[in-house]
Amino acid sequence: MANPRGRERRILRLLSVPMALLALSCVYPVYFAVNNALKTNRNYIMDRFGLVTDLTFDNFVQAWTRSNLDTYFVNSVLVTGGAVLLLLLVSSLAGFALALLRFPARRLVFVVILASLMIPVQVVLVPFYQTIIGLGLLNTRIGLILSYTAFFLPFSVYLMTAFYAGLPRELMEAARIDGARLLQVWWFVMLPMGRPALITLGILNTLYCWNDVLISLLVLQDKRTMMVGIAALRGEYTTNVPLLAAGIVLAAAPIVVLYLVFQRQIVAGIATGAVKG
Amino acid sequence: MTFKALLIATTACLGGQAMAQTLTIWDWKSGDPVAASYFDAVREAFAAAHPGVTLNFVNQPIDQYYTLLGTALASGQGPDVFLLNGGAQARARMDALTDLTPQAEGLVGLTEFQDADGAVRALPISIQGFVVYYNKDRYSEAGLDPEAPPQTWAELASACEAINAAGAVPCFALGNKEGYGAEFFLSSVGASMLSEQAQQQFATGDLTWSSPEIAAILQAWVDTQGMGWYQPGANSTAKFMDEYEMFMRGDAANTIGLLSDVAHWKQFEDFLGAESIGAFRHPAPEMIADHAMIPVAGGIGYGVNAAGGNVDLATALVETLASAGPIQVFVNDAGVVPANTAVDTSGLASPTAGTILGWLDSSGVTMAHANVTAEELAEWHRQSQLLLNGETTVEAAAARMDDVQKAAHGG
Amino acid sequence: MTTTAQPQRRRRRTGSRAERRFALLFLLPAVALVLTFRIVPLLWGFGLSLTDATGLQQGQFIGLGNYAEMAGDPNFRAAMRNTVILLLTLPVWVLLPMILASLIHLGVPGGRLYRSVYFFPAVLSSVIVGSIFNVVLRYDGALNALLGFAGLPAIDWLGSGSTALLSLLTVQLWATFGMSLLIFLAGLSTLSSEMIEAARLDGARLWQVWGYVILPAMRPIIEFVAVVTTIGVLTNMFGLIYVLTAGGPGTATTLPEFLIWLEQGQMGRPGYAAALSMVLFALMAGIAWIQIRIMSRNAGL
Repeated sequence: MANPRGRERRILRLLSVPMALLALSCVYPVYFAVNNALKTNRNYIMDRFGLVTDLTFDNFVQAWTRSNLDTYFVNSVLVTGGAVLLLLLVSSLAGFALALLRFPARRLVFVVILASLMIPVQVVLVPFYQTIIGLGLLNTRIGLILSYTAFFLPFSVYLMTAFYAGLPRELMEAARIDGARLLQVWWFVMLPMGRPALITLGILNTLYCWNDVLISLLVLQDKRTMMVGIAALRGEYTTNVPLLAAGIVLAAAPIVVLYLVFQRQIVAGIATGAVKG
Repeated sequence: MTFKALLIATTACLGGQAMAQTLTIWDWKSGDPVAASYFDAVREAFAAAHPGVTLNFVNQPIDQYYTLLGTALASGQGPDVFLLNGGAQARARMDALTDLTPQAEGLVGLTEFQDADGAVRALPISIQGFVVYYNKDRYSEAGLDPEAPPQTWAELASACEAINAAGAVPCFALGNKEGYGAEFFLSSVGASMLSEQAQQQFATGDLTWSSPEIAAILQAWVDTQGMGWYQPGANSTAKFMDEYEMFMRGDAANTIGLLSDVAHWKQFEDFLGAESIGAFRHPAPEMIADHAMIPVAGGIGYGVNAAGGNVDLATALVETLASAGPIQVFVNDAGVVPANTAVDTSGLASPTAGTILGWLDSSGVTMAHANVTAEELAEWHRQSQLLLNGETTVEAAAARMDDVQKAAHGG
Repeated sequence: MTTTAQPQRRRRRTGSRAERRFALLFLLPAVALVLTFRIVPLLWGFGLSLTDATGLQQGQFIGLGNYAEMAGDPNFRAAMRNTVILLLTLPVWVLLPMILASLIHLGVPGGRLYRSVYFFPAVLSSVIVGSIFNVVLRYDGALNALLGFAGLPAIDWLGSGSTALLSLLTVQLWATFGMSLLIFLAGLSTLSSEMIEAARLDGARLWQVWGYVILPAMRPIIEFVAVVTTIGVLTNMFGLIYVLTAGGPGTATTLPEFLIWLEQGQMGRPGYAAALSMVLFALMAGIAWIQIRIMSRNAGL
């Protein structure tokens, strides 16, 4: 970015060393998960850290079939996809309004959304469950999509608001043109401008929805999502780590790929972000 | 806009209720590969008697099981049949269950599933209990006779001394991260030290933790740590399965293990070989009988949701789950000790299993920890860890336990 | 207490009619969802906290009985003490990812690779992270072996009261800093490079650019990360606690969230659990309010 000069470049290079070590530690769990997923349980118990000696693909087969991961996978994709899309739309609309538009009770709305960010999920379990039943949403994918949207929305709206508020001032003035065209302003200006934040939100919300167990467990009791299937692989007493690891590798793979593809886009957002400046 | 449209669409889609001829069963067992053949046998037997009924077994994650069950029951949407741990967890949910006393004929291990009036509210499928498993090779290496395991507290103490002197492995593998190590110790030592009357009083809260009887067990817990029986870091070792994996790797001479499910003779034999495994009853400092006892209790049991839509059919299913035919399969394939006395256990070839089954009649007594309240158990988990770390004293721990016990029994 | 109050906009805070109407329209879906699934259940939960509900019965109204019980509950006091310790570590949770993100933005060698990799622990569930650190941190584990090489005594990281909480927090920090880093990167991407260039041409050093250009421009994002991280560590650590310490030894790692789970599920006392949750909610709201106030004041200078 800033073309570091001689001495500064040396400092940056020096700082790169601990950062590289940290990076190494972050790769390790991936190695650990894959390596152990290929072990038999006996191999794992005898030697947790060593390379696999008893190579088997049985865990993947087991995880996939025994916990119905094939059907659960489809559920996860549909629910996560639906919820993330809804989250991005709703939160960019709300963020736009909260950051750039003037209207009464703006602070109140913002405080309510911020407050709902702080509600611990445990406290609302019973009431939330009864709400879901009352709305006839129990055991429906739509129910879970709406639940996810509602649960992760405060976070998303807050981020979009903070992001839009941090954009250069000129943009806001540009946005405050003729009121009737505000919808176009949102679509043609705010959505493209918000791209880095929207992609970040897309990644994070995908991760939250995909990895959620508790909400999914409550709403979808028959047609499960993938992480619920994997959580149920853990027995009362036994934790068959190789089997769990296989399940988690299968579940995490799509997320890792998505992340690697999209994280470049966050930085690519600079180009668009800076033009109008 | 979007929200409302979606809402209407969903409500429209939802249509009628589920069909009456489906039974929903919640547990944390039906996904276990070891139990697969048992559940197949249950399905088969039930389908023969009740054709056309769909059984929907829902395998729930154990860590959220009781949270989920409580939420569902409180909302009137619980499953028709659900699995419970005997003891505190079962007792806390008795009001939601039907009376299964007529169906309990021929079953043992019922105490943990009986309400205050003695009515059986869930049918146990297996018997749970604790014995000490030992590794004969480690005994030989320490110069001990592998065929003559300790029978008394003094013998156990000197065996541990010998094993410590050999210096290769700790005497016991102990996992107390969740407090289970202390739970098992309480029941194992308590089995040999407490009279049946004392056990009952302990369960009702009339025998306090600071009473000489119980305080002696707490003292033994501290003393065994002082004598160096356990490996360092027991409080950061998970009982399931770090402790047992340690034992299965041969890195410890003894461990307090289970009778059924896991961490039992079958699993240990699979790992170490049948000839290397033996079992003995955990001795105690002052035993009330001339030999040590083992704590035995109904392990896990299925009950019928009284608010369910089809109680009769659900009752029939629970009867099938506990019946001799399927349980026989469970015994043969998973090596559980059955709660159904009609099941033939003579087919179990393991000598260790034979020894243990022999003790069930002669030495099986109440499992102390299964009868105390959930609050006391949770607090015992905490206090036991502090005791091991030397961060509290027996007196202080017992006093704190007394407070919890008193509050839990409504005083 | 909003993040976004812009002084010059205070002049006309209500906007034109069309603007008002569209703003409400834009907010409607968000507000409807949040009210239905979050706020209404919260109020309901507050009602529950005033009862002695068990897992089965609705329970009797007992007023503030649960809250009174809390005052005498040593486990609750321990959870609060642990929360205070946790809150003291908060600056690290915000600063570390911010510094790393800034360095990546300023072009540290290998930055692109780090950006890709730092997120990995967050993707793998707490089961994997827990399994690894369970073995790394145990008494006969890898970390103590390393200490042994250096001639230092072994420590029971997760099993002794003095180190368990900090060990747990470190693992959680390691497992989640990638998410905050991602948010900072998104924020950094809005900085106009002209501004940085201009400062550079004026002879500003890299760290001056960071302090005078990047930091002020990032204020809304820093505030966001601070608030969200606080809430995250107080409500999202259950997975790791369950696997690594189960709240022990004693109550050394019992955080409010874990206590709520214990009372709600294992003890079957939703009423008391709801009261605990209300306290946690109030606590987080208070902290968030303070954080936002601090940020706004700094911005005013």
